[in-house]
Amino acid sequence: MKAQSFEYQLQHAIAPMPDPVAHLLAKTAAVAEFERVHGAAGRAISPPAASDAGSWPRRLFLRGSRRHVASKRGSRNLLLGGFASACVVVIAVSTYWLVPPGQRQVLVPPPVTSRLEPEAGGDLAPPVAKASDADLLPPRVVTEAKPEPQQPPIVSRVGPDHPQKTPRSRVAHPKGPSLPAQTGASPAAAPEPSEVGITTTENEAEIVVAADKTPATANAGTSAPIAALPAVTNRAATNHGVGSELNEIIVTGARRKSWLSGLFSRNEAAPTQQMSLPPGYTAEGRDKFEHFEVNPVRRVADEPVSTFSADVDTASYSFVRRELNGGRLPQVDSVRVEEMINYFDYTWPASDSRDQPFKPTVTVSDSPWGEGKKLIHIGIKGYELPVRQQPDVNLVLLLDVSGSMDEPDKLPLAQKSMALLLDTLKPTDTVAIVVYAGAAGEVLPPTAIKDKETILQALNSLQPGGSTAGAEGIKLAYALAERNFRKDGVNRILLATDGDFNVGITNQNELKGFVEREREKGVFLSFLGFGEGNYHDEMGQVLAQNGNGVAAYIDTLNEAKKVLVQESTASLFTIAKDVKFQVEFNPATVAEYRLIGYETRALKREDFNNDKVDAGDVGSGHAVTAIYEITPVGSKAKLIDERRYAGSEETHSQQSKGTEYGFLKIRYKLPNGFRSRLIEQPIRIDAGVPEALRSNVEFSTAVAGFGQLLRGGKYTGPLKFDDVIRQARGALGEDPFGYRAEFLSLVHKAKDARGM
Amino acid sequence: MDDPISGLIRRAQGGDVGSFSELLDLHYGTIYRIAWKWCGHRSNAEDITQQSCIKLASSLAQYQFRAAFTSWLYQLVISCARDWQRAQQRHEHEALPADELTSDGSGRSEDYIYLVQLLDQLDEIGEGMKETALLVHAEGLSHAEAGQILGVSESTISWRIHAIRKHMNKAEALMSGGV
Repeated sequence: MKAQSFEYQLQHAIAPMPDPVAHLLAKTAAVAEFERVHGAAGRAISPPAASDAGSWPRRLFLRGSRRHVASKRGSRNLLLGGFASACVVVIAVSTYWLVPPGQRQVLVPPPVTSRLEPEAGGDLAPPVAKASDADLLPPRVVTEAKPEPQQPPIVSRVGPDHPQKTPRSRVAHPKGPSLPAQTGASPAAAPEPSEVGITTTENEAEIVVAADKTPATANAGTSAPIAALPAVTNRAATNHGVGSELNEIIVTGARRKSWLSGLFSRNEAAPTQQMSLPPGYTAEGRDKFEHFEVNPVRRVADEPVSTFSADVDTASYSFVRRELNGGRLPQVDSVRVEEMINYFDYTWPASDSRDQPFKPTVTVSDSPWGEGKKLIHIGIKGYELPVRQQPDVNLVLLLDVSGSMDEPDKLPLAQKSMALLLDTLKPTDTVAIVVYAGAAGEVLPPTAIKDKETILQALNSLQPGGSTAGAEGIKLAYALAERNFRKDGVNRILLATDGDFNVGITNQNELKGFVEREREKGVFLSFLGFGEGNYHDEMGQVLAQNGNGVAAYIDTLNEAKKVLVQESTASLFTIAKDVKFQVEFNPATVAEYRLIGYETRALKREDFNNDKVDAGDVGSGHAVTAIYEITPVGSKAKLIDERRYAGSEETHSQQSKGTEYGFLKIRYKLPNGFRSRLIEQPIRIDAGVPEALRSNVEFSTAVAGFGQLLRGGKYTGPLKFDDVIRQARGALGEDPFGYRAEFLSLVHKAKDARGM
Repeated sequence: MDDPISGLIRRAQGGDVGSFSELLDLHYGTIYRIAWKWCGHRSNAEDITQQSCIKLASSLAQYQFRAAFTSWLYQLVISCARDWQRAQQRHEHEALPADELTSDGSGRSEDYIYLVQLLDQLDEIGEGMKETALLVHAEGLSHAEAGQILGVSESTISWRIHAIRKHMNKAEALMSGGV
């Protein structure tokens, strides 16, 4: 048989008639969404009254919509009462209405039925639906023992079962019967129906909801409609509500694929562990960090120029702190020394003009860990915008509400953190909230801070559940930010997540390109990382670096305060972008040098003058500190031998500048500028350390030493944690928020952790 | 688009549920058809169609009458379909059993299998190839129209059509050579 040409095949691929039931359901869901969009932007935020039974169907449909999150609260209110943990197993068959009441069998637990039926019959009819719609909706709730005879005779067919799905599903308390039930229930049930007038869709998937000791009544109330919905409105990965309320849901049936997969995708990586672990379980050791090698010692004669980008991120320090507080040494790749150094606020002299937003400070001191070596500190502090001058803010909070965020230190912490941030904004600034999980949704349109109550209400109503469609969320957030674009203001997306983007654009480069393009349009992105066990640091770095933003890791409310309140101006108001450093060392005075940290920020020498090359940004009041360790010419501490055949002329030509170790250049662009400006300053051998800056230099050196030790201490010789403690203790300075004191306790903890 | 539809759209954009509902009824078939050709699978097409309807509800306001409504609709459905597929791809191991394809009850199962294979093949050639082929061959749009919908230039579409043809010829030659 000769196959037809593909053009022919395409031309003659005739779609089967659309199924009228599917049509009706899609329409009902769409109309509900339509009503929601047009109904009232404001009302969408306020949680429906718990007693508002009439709004059930509406909410149900919204579960099928992209906006499910805002709407699922009502049901939670109804249900959450502390009954989060019984084992109720419910199989909902959406063809319920076709079964004569006498045949409805509800075995576990009896209250389920009695409770469910009235609800199902009365509440499920959506206000927008016609009577016939209502008929379609009531789900069938039965127990796992439910055999196929219950299947209505006219159903077109029962999808083949997929027993292999079961292990993927997240079963907290795999009640014995629930699993077999899925396999047992449906395959045999497939009496191929005759085509009857209405070909019913293959809706008859069983949904097994295994809840955690939830009182049956309440449980039934939710599980039934919810179970019906996916089956009916098709699975729009909507089950956050279910996931969080009932903890677990297992779904079988041929067609549950799409929303099911969305729902459980997160658990794929470790399906088996999760089977029996309690809800508080966190997946350890899946935190992802980009691997990098420590900057090596370089010979000035070979490579006199060192170039790197500014970095004001602090995520690494917070992550390290978290690990140490947990009594563990952090993964080596999670330690980025420059981020640890820059976590602390240093009082480098600030510039007083917005036009030249910072000036460099250079000090030279002895290296505490290398005899005969020197440390060169380069510090800049961004110009601090007076409050009056702070531009308008158009902020879009993009919150991950996927199931993985369901831990006290994730979504709840993010919510509290964001609430703190609101206090730092002007009444006219606007905040919008977008969430993403199985699908992305706008929870709150841009709302002025003066309506703070509304914002808080929307924020606090978010509940975790489902898988993560981060990319779509990002797109939606950008769309919102652009719609509300403030030309002379700050347009920024604040992304709060554990970094698990497992649906949508998962290719990092694709996401990066997207964020980059948006950056060109003037919308920037900052990244706030939460939680551990599944933390994707790399993703946050990529996004923030390409989005002209900050990547911070929030492990405690205190940290949120630091990042979002004390440093809110820095995080929000960029005063200089694409800040690049370049140091040319003088071969006459410096034999070798080594940049401490900034491994992931290295730039090519030629990139320094190329304005197209992106680099780090500095916010209002931000301090950036970089430390070089150098070996002066003539010091015995040199690591690299002289070249036997090196020409001497290169050395001699520099003799005239024997009073300098090198020459510092900084390039930056003003926030709205496209052309870079240049700051230059020699690094004088006799720069020393002015008394006023002593504690800055000492403390940053201690932090640098600590970071290097955590990375294995390749170049720190005899340095020990005790040395770090001694040095830091002498340099606590004013430390108004206690950050430096906290650092001391961390070093102690590292010492203990290593001892073990 | 003729005037009655435009009027319907405008009223729907203004928040009139009746108009939206009517608009949806008028286009459900179109959406479903595109979705079905896109995936060659009935229930998946229903998934995509429903997503598209919901998306239509939320984004109808963004339609600005600059392009034909059907073009805009194509765009919307394709984007929904892509989203849907991305979600699917995360779970490839969970691929549909083959019998699902044949149990459509319409007696055309063989066609579906060919179509699904063909769609898979198109997907493999490169991004956008499937959409291009569908719009041009299955929907009979001009290269310019397809380009507008997919956000690429007309010449890109022409090139893609050519590339697909070339690829298919090669694949066919390979198959017949092997027999």
